[in-house]
Amino acid sequence: MNILWLSVSDPEPGLGNYANLFESEALPRIIWTTVRICIITTLLSVSLGYCLAYAMVHAYRKEQNMMLTFLLVSFWISILVRTFSWLMLLGRKGLVNEWLDAIGIISEPIAFMRNELGVLIGMVHYMVPYAVLPLLVNMQTLDQRVMSASRNLGATGAQTFFRIYLPMTKPGIVASVLLVFILSLGFYVTPAVLGGGKVLMVAEYISVQLLITLKWGIAAMLAALMLFGVLVMLWVMNRFMKLSTVFGGATS
Amino acid sequence: MSETTQGALQIKNLRKMFGTFCAVDDISLDIQKGEFLTLLGPSGSGKTTLLMMIAGFLDISAGDIALDGTSISNTPPEKRNFGMVFQGYALFPHMSVRDNIGYALSVRKTPKADINKRVDEMLDLVQLQDFADRKPGQLSGGQQQRVALARALCFAPPVLLLDEPLGALDKKLRVEVQEQLKDIHKRVGTTFIYVTHDQEEALSMSDRVVIMRDGAVEQVGTPKELYERPQSEFAASFLGKSNFLRTSDGTHALRPEKIDLAPTGTGKTTPRMSGTIRSVTYFGSMQRIMVDTQAAGELEVDIDSWRNPEPFVEGQAVDLMWEDHAVVRLERTES
Amino acid sequence: MSDKQFMRETLVEGAHAFKAGKMDRRTFLTLCGATGFVSATVLAGDAEAAADHVVMWNWGGQSEECHGSAIGEAFTAATGKGLKFDTSGPLEGKIKEMVNSGNVTADVADADLFNAVSLGPTGHLEAIDYSIVSKDKTLPGYALEHGVSIILYGYAFVYDTEAYGDNPPTSWADFFDTEKFAGQRSLYKWANGSLEAALLADGVAADALYPLDMDRALNKIKSIKDNSLYWGSGSEAHSMAVNGEASMVMIWQNRGRNIENDTDGRYKLVNNQAIAMPGAYIVPKGNPAGRDAVMKFIATAQEVDAQLKLLDCLGMTPSNPAAFGSIPEDQQPYAITSAMNIDKIVYNDPEWWGKNGGDAVNAFLEAIS
Repeated sequence: MNILWLSVSDPEPGLGNYANLFESEALPRIIWTTVRICIITTLLSVSLGYCLAYAMVHAYRKEQNMMLTFLLVSFWISILVRTFSWLMLLGRKGLVNEWLDAIGIISEPIAFMRNELGVLIGMVHYMVPYAVLPLLVNMQTLDQRVMSASRNLGATGAQTFFRIYLPMTKPGIVASVLLVFILSLGFYVTPAVLGGGKVLMVAEYISVQLLITLKWGIAAMLAALMLFGVLVMLWVMNRFMKLSTVFGGATS
Repeated sequence: MSETTQGALQIKNLRKMFGTFCAVDDISLDIQKGEFLTLLGPSGSGKTTLLMMIAGFLDISAGDIALDGTSISNTPPEKRNFGMVFQGYALFPHMSVRDNIGYALSVRKTPKADINKRVDEMLDLVQLQDFADRKPGQLSGGQQQRVALARALCFAPPVLLLDEPLGALDKKLRVEVQEQLKDIHKRVGTTFIYVTHDQEEALSMSDRVVIMRDGAVEQVGTPKELYERPQSEFAASFLGKSNFLRTSDGTHALRPEKIDLAPTGTGKTTPRMSGTIRSVTYFGSMQRIMVDTQAAGELEVDIDSWRNPEPFVEGQAVDLMWEDHAVVRLERTES
Repeated sequence: MSDKQFMRETLVEGAHAFKAGKMDRRTFLTLCGATGFVSATVLAGDAEAAADHVVMWNWGGQSEECHGSAIGEAFTAATGKGLKFDTSGPLEGKIKEMVNSGNVTADVADADLFNAVSLGPTGHLEAIDYSIVSKDKTLPGYALEHGVSIILYGYAFVYDTEAYGDNPPTSWADFFDTEKFAGQRSLYKWANGSLEAALLADGVAADALYPLDMDRALNKIKSIKDNSLYWGSGSEAHSMAVNGEASMVMIWQNRGRNIENDTDGRYKLVNNQAIAMPGAYIVPKGNPAGRDAVMKFIATAQEVDAQLKLLDCLGMTPSNPAAFGSIPEDQQPYAITSAMNIDKIVYNDPEWWGKNGGDAVNAFLEAIS
């Protein structure tokens, strides 16, 4: 609530900070960039995470443990290390470009990094483990007999997946989407580095306003806006399904 | 009123190995069209494994399964067209009762109107007309069980497999559902293969019962055959209770209710043995009396309560009597 | 990832860079600019300020050791007071928050001189006591009411010698000329230096830079936007050069030296028109050790001996004119106030930046994103 107060009181009382949203040419663009990147990141991360979680749940016990270990270890690798590793791999003179060049497929390096594509690659890579966990928990609690029942009733594998498995993992998908989207909103290290400075997202902008330009009112306004946006998203999702089932409540 | 002309299953020398463990060992069965066949056995006897192989969820290690003479050993489960009621029902939690029941037709791309008509019939059959739009989570256990049954029968399968379908119900409800199940079986004429470890269920519902033990068939027969003429100590004691008399020509089974009891010297027929009452347990309609005998050790005797107004008491000396045909010589004895 | 963890990684990386003479404290400032919200614990710092010592608020790593040997030892010998460090990084926002909270735990912040202009008038800083600190021991115009420049660092650029061969770029005009000098550029993301370089390239005279013509500067920046990357931290700039992502990279001159070394001379530093930035000491209002002690500490840092030690240890150029003549020969090409560079450099105006910096940074970010 302190944030809300600051957003209408600094530098002077009034809604001046909010008016900035409409008057400034840049703010809507930054917000749109942020929302766009976060949505794409969320879609890709959750899709990939879904495949991974599915593979893990259906792997043999030993492989499952190994995959889970890899997943958890990835949480410990520093964001800077990961970010710079992507540069080594996909940069202008990174391994991939050098290799493509060497076998003659390209003559000019492909710009994977230092642009929005780079930001997406880095962010998806960072978010996938987060996307996997809620899905994994959800999938592990499913009664496999229900899937057997579907097969028994004549459904093909694809029908069983789309009509039974996917709807039953909806709570996991929603939890995963919420987690990844909210984390993405607050993410700035990867966009700052892999975007080559050209991909400015709200979280980074807020930190600049707080620490460098001392425009705390703007920072508070944007933070309040993000908070509000997340609340609206939760509310909308709640309209479609009971969020209590997402956060561990009973399914019936 | 048979809904299908198929439904005879032939199981030949079926075997299932899990690693080196033999879960189902060389089982052969001929199941008649429209029969109510029960696979009865303790847990670990291989009855569920056998059922899952029939359903197609488990590969067979050796042998063959045929439906009406055509092998289905390599047919995937969704192509076998067998209905199945799972343990715990395995209903689709996100679908209404109507959609659950209509699922099999829906995945077969049946026209919507036909599905609705057929689902209505099924709702009538299991008496759930008023619950069509509920989700499974909003139903009682008994109702869920009926949805599972309706769902499995909706596409008129030639064979219905039931895996301990009443296991989750309380005893009173279970007896009720048993009656409904028998009734439905009669009406649809589908072959029922029913797995249970409850001997009363097996006796009261089945046309034939397969007693299973350690992955093999112990004895097959009608409930009456099995009860009256058990071939082994295992069959005799798993299906009902039995005393065993060991004589020079083998082991004999003697059901507790086939023994009559009278205070020494007062019996109407010649006593077969005499003994002393060790304990009396009262069960309402009958009482269970344990008698120590010189000749055969401890014997269990079940006496209808109405038959002796003078109660037996512990320590009382008694004569034991039975008819000749009450004693069944077992074909197989335990080693 | 928590900000604290990020800061720690930054500092660990920084320690290595300092050791090799690669990175100056400015790197941390920019990295921290990207680290965002600051928790109360970070703001409060770990250092316990008390009367028997002075707490310096800086970015830790090698700079802790260097400040200890260059200034701390002499300060202790003279006053008997010790020197302790809070290494959480004195960004403007954090200083303001610390003073606002009333829990001031640092005595002197190793910051930029324009911070003194923006935070001084709002009452967040102590005034410098020029009866103890000397106005003559820094460059003219760099001894302000609420801060005094101790060292200088400069915005220069490096270029890829293999890309430009016999006709290398020599000025900011060349840097911004993507027709004559094809290839990717990389500029500093927080506007500082980048705006000045753009105006110089556009023909504005060095002594007529301020007040900065923002529109003109941003237009120039935008004119090469398609060929530009922007770096936020020294290590990023470094990797852009070493990995060949950009053919010309705007860089701090001491980091430029390091790039020359790491590329075996393939990238070469151009100090012409380097923009001199005054690094300054500023004192949070109500500092725990008291004004007198901290002013003596600042005065100690102005001494020639301390200035040369900071140059040797951190690659920071002296701002005390008395030290210029004593810059060792091997440091001369990289110290912007050395005899060989001092006539070619352009001086940053902390007054303009202090008053307009916030808007300038935002306008710059908006232009490049």
